[in-house]
Amino acid sequence: MKIYRLSALAIAILAFSACTKKDKEPANTVHIAGIEKIKTLDPAMTGDLYSGDEVGRTYEGLLQFHYLKRPFVIVPMLAEEMPSYSKDKKTLTFKIRKGVLFQDDPCFKDTGGKGRELVADDFIFSFKRVADPKTLSEGWWIFDGRVVGLNEWRDEASRSGKADYAKEVEGLKAIDKYTLEIKLKKPSAQFLSYLTMSFAMAIPKEAVEMYKDDFARNPVGTGPFVLDRKNSNLNSKLIWNKNPTFRKELYPSDGSEEDRAAGLLEDAGKPLPLADRLVVSIYTETQPRWLNFMAGKFDWSKIPKDNFDQVMSADQKLLPEMTQRKLKLQKSPKLDITHETFNLNEPILGKNKLLRQAISMSINSEPYIELFYNGRAIPAQGPIPPGLNGYDPSLKNPYRIYNLETAKDMLKQAGYPEGKGLPVLEYNTLSSTEYRQMTEYIEKSLGALGIKIHVNTYTWPEFVEALKNKKGHMWGYAWGADYPDAENFLQLFYSKNVSPGPNDSNYSNPEYDKLYEASLNLHDTPERTALYQKMVKILVEDCPWVFSVHRIEYVLTYPWMKNYKFHEIEHAVAKYWRIDTSLKK
Amino acid sequence: MFVYLLRRLLYTIPILLGVSLIVFVLFHMVGGDPTYQMLGKHANPEQVQTLRHELGLDQPLTTQFFFYLKQVVTFDYGRSYSTKQPISDMILNGIGPSLTLAIPAFFLTTVFAILISLFVAYFRGTWIDKGVVVLCVVGMSIPSLAYILFGQHILAYRWGLFPISGYEIDFPDRLQYIVMPALIWVMVSLGMDVRFFRNAILDETHQDYVRTARSKGLSEKFIFLKHVLKNSMIPIVTYVVIEIPFLLLGAFLLESFFGIPGLGSITIDAINSSDFPVLKAMTTINSLLFILGTLATDIVYTWVDPRVRLK
Repeated sequence: MKIYRLSALAIAILAFSACTKKDKEPANTVHIAGIEKIKTLDPAMTGDLYSGDEVGRTYEGLLQFHYLKRPFVIVPMLAEEMPSYSKDKKTLTFKIRKGVLFQDDPCFKDTGGKGRELVADDFIFSFKRVADPKTLSEGWWIFDGRVVGLNEWRDEASRSGKADYAKEVEGLKAIDKYTLEIKLKKPSAQFLSYLTMSFAMAIPKEAVEMYKDDFARNPVGTGPFVLDRKNSNLNSKLIWNKNPTFRKELYPSDGSEEDRAAGLLEDAGKPLPLADRLVVSIYTETQPRWLNFMAGKFDWSKIPKDNFDQVMSADQKLLPEMTQRKLKLQKSPKLDITHETFNLNEPILGKNKLLRQAISMSINSEPYIELFYNGRAIPAQGPIPPGLNGYDPSLKNPYRIYNLETAKDMLKQAGYPEGKGLPVLEYNTLSSTEYRQMTEYIEKSLGALGIKIHVNTYTWPEFVEALKNKKGHMWGYAWGADYPDAENFLQLFYSKNVSPGPNDSNYSNPEYDKLYEASLNLHDTPERTALYQKMVKILVEDCPWVFSVHRIEYVLTYPWMKNYKFHEIEHAVAKYWRIDTSLKK
Repeated sequence: MFVYLLRRLLYTIPILLGVSLIVFVLFHMVGGDPTYQMLGKHANPEQVQTLRHELGLDQPLTTQFFFYLKQVVTFDYGRSYSTKQPISDMILNGIGPSLTLAIPAFFLTTVFAILISLFVAYFRGTWIDKGVVVLCVVGMSIPSLAYILFGQHILAYRWGLFPISGYEIDFPDRLQYIVMPALIWVMVSLGMDVRFFRNAILDETHQDYVRTARSKGLSEKFIFLKHVLKNSMIPIVTYVVIEIPFLLLGAFLLESFFGIPGLGSITIDAINSSDFPVLKAMTTINSLLFILGTLATDIVYTWVDPRVRLK
């Protein structure tokens, strides 16, 4: 009898667990997987890609990147049009779209919770908030030393301990309700790119004041989606519903023939967002993420390294099981580079170019790419990745052609025949398995030359602390583009950016600096591209890094997932996606 | 009772101080400077200086230790280096999801383990007993990760018996996602629990009072349920009660693989992102719970065995 009761209880629990009280989900709901927990939904704090993507669903800035065009093109977002410039190119004037509303939220007490209209002052508040030392924003660098009066305003806030938001900053002016004027200290070709970043998105003062420390979990933007706060958790699932008060924005009508052939222009001219809901389920572990995708729970997915062989053949084609499921594969080069850094602050490496060149020549990229990236990368010849102006596909870096014999000769010329006389090099790495394996590869490569390394295994904070304090001879690192301009990679070698700045090889070359400074004044012109290529040639010869690889992203989409195009830079891309409900049963 | 409790609580103060000192020194040695991590790749020296001051890292070590002690006492562990959220909020938000999994899983494990132990102890020495012991050893030898991978791949993905993973905020919705991780918890824990409980029960079966009961002609079933079970409860309760506080800390692997946003998953994330303030908080809470667990066990002793007196 008891066993029957227990069985009945078990069935009741299972039945109870199966019943749900959730609202019915709209058919046109896009489901995607998040691979990291979301740290914040505060635009000023989004230092990582994943938080940036979520912020981009609900907040907007003045400018954005065109969804389809490559190379990347900046187009207006909350700006009515691209800004006008003064003659000296130092003053930018933005006309802001009229009638754009913030999402309804209790923070708007004057309107009884109805979202108020966005005005120029909202941008001034948002930019000052990034500059406020108390905010501890990772995005201060986009304004640092650039906007007239903003550094002084920040310094005053640091001194007094409290930022005075009412105090005017000369470089940030609301000419009228819909006109924003930004005065720069000197012309900057990159400033428009900075304004596409999440740090420069518009936030309402009322929300910051009401939610205070909790603002990071209570987003109030003008964007296409509104967070379902009741049913969302930044650690597990975010549910974004279509914003009923979203401004009129249409799906782009201009794209390439490739885009047309891929069906990416079928929704041209339709009002955005196209999906009714977006659900982001966060799985930090690869297996549940991948199995959920294979079970059709997610509409698109990147291919994890460990599952690559289940999807792709040796000749980099989809396996028949995948094509039978009508899965589509997109291959997109990423705007990044991985590299081995030489710390030029250390005299052994800093004063011996031949030694650096010999080491560079001894590391073979081909097996490295197979071992660590399943072939999803191309060997890097210089710092600029493909897809950016300044990348030269014909460039062949002579010190990245694997040749052990020549490398040994060069090492001899460098004064260390077969590594004799060379002290053991301190190599910094992270404690994760993958990094340790990569380090073993480097150790083996250098060992073939006769060079010994001592591996220092660090946690991430220790690793960053070591390189910012110029400790160690070498380490592996990577850089992903903040914005699609080769300058973002070339600034990593500018002498004024040495550690603790982003130039962690501590490279310094006056000739390079001169060219870099000259390039900053130029917009995207052939003259600037020529300067970039000249700078790359200097770097190839000076060899401050072993240029390792540029990675390629492989993404699978189900046939019902419409309008997916990999976009590494722009965060506000979910508004273009939709589900073909006739195909998704 | 009150005096005993007070004395035990007073004893915990030096233990807690010692644990705090070890945790502080340990994390100071391996923690590294968090400012670069928090400010991102474009940080400049001025920002680094400001943040170091803000976090009190420019203070002498002794001051930093007393600040940490204050955190322990006030349960205000500051903010996570990684998410910048208040750690106390993260912990409070994580307790619910952790307990949603831990309570049913722990309850089921304990009930099944006691039932199976009684059963095999009743048939001690027979092939049933031997078979169950072998199964327990096999069950214990399989790592929990293997159960997770098998469960997700075969039971969920291939056979569709359970959701592969997931979590919902609403209570009834979340239960469907808890069934498989709870079963895995039971599978992983059952072997060890059964072996321990079986030994505890068998120890009792060799006591004089059992022989007396048998000689009085009482049935074996009656002896087991009425006498042996009750007396073997002392080690069993000790074992069970000491585990209860740790349920709050969650199950690291299960939460991480099943996407349950509990404390186990928060700890795994903190390890992966070297978020030392969160790890420091979790380690401290772990120690506190252990101390509380042993105290609770001592108190429960008196309830289970009136012969034990609190002195």
